[in-house]
Amino acid sequence: MKQHLGRQSGVQSVDVSLLDGKVQIVPKEDGRIDPGQLLKAVYDSGVSVAEMDVIARGKIARDSSGELALQVAPNQSFNLEPNDMSKQLEPLAGQPTVITVRGQLYKKPAGKKKSKPDVSAPRKLLILEVQKKE
Amino acid sequence: MDAKKFVLLVLLGGALSPISQAQIKHIEMRVEGMT
Repeated sequence: MKQHLGRQSGVQSVDVSLLDGKVQIVPKEDGRIDPGQLLKAVYDSGVSVAEMDVIARGKIARDSSGELALQVAPNQSFNLEPNDMSKQLEPLAGQPTVITVRGQLYKKPAGKKKSKPDVSAPRKLLILEVQKKE
Repeated sequence: MDAKKFVLLVLLGGALSPISQAQIKHIEMRVEGMT
């Protein structure tokens, strides 16, 4: 799995902890990384992902349908799952403020033993913590 | 470089720099079925 993940574009390093079942991925400094492809890569190596958390830095924007999103690259953004944290970030939409957040991009549906994640589905980011505002 | 070009360069840099620093910094996955 480590080699499989390491071959994905934008991945700088992969650290697998067998003890607690955690996989840490450090993206390349300037590379674009696709969380959907990482989910697929893990699934293809024979294990299933229970949760995927990210730490991301970007600006709050609104997409064409008016939904809040975190823009992490000029052509990559994640729509925000509405919660208390996303409500607090609403005034920052369209502002030049850059924020660093910890959030959840994927959680395995309850009750399913092994399910193939839909890599083409747009991922919504559930913000768990705002770490920095700049 | 004339002043007009310099001002344009500063404004453009200011507009582009915040998003150029934006990125995914770290990803952590909890996996099941790993041996």
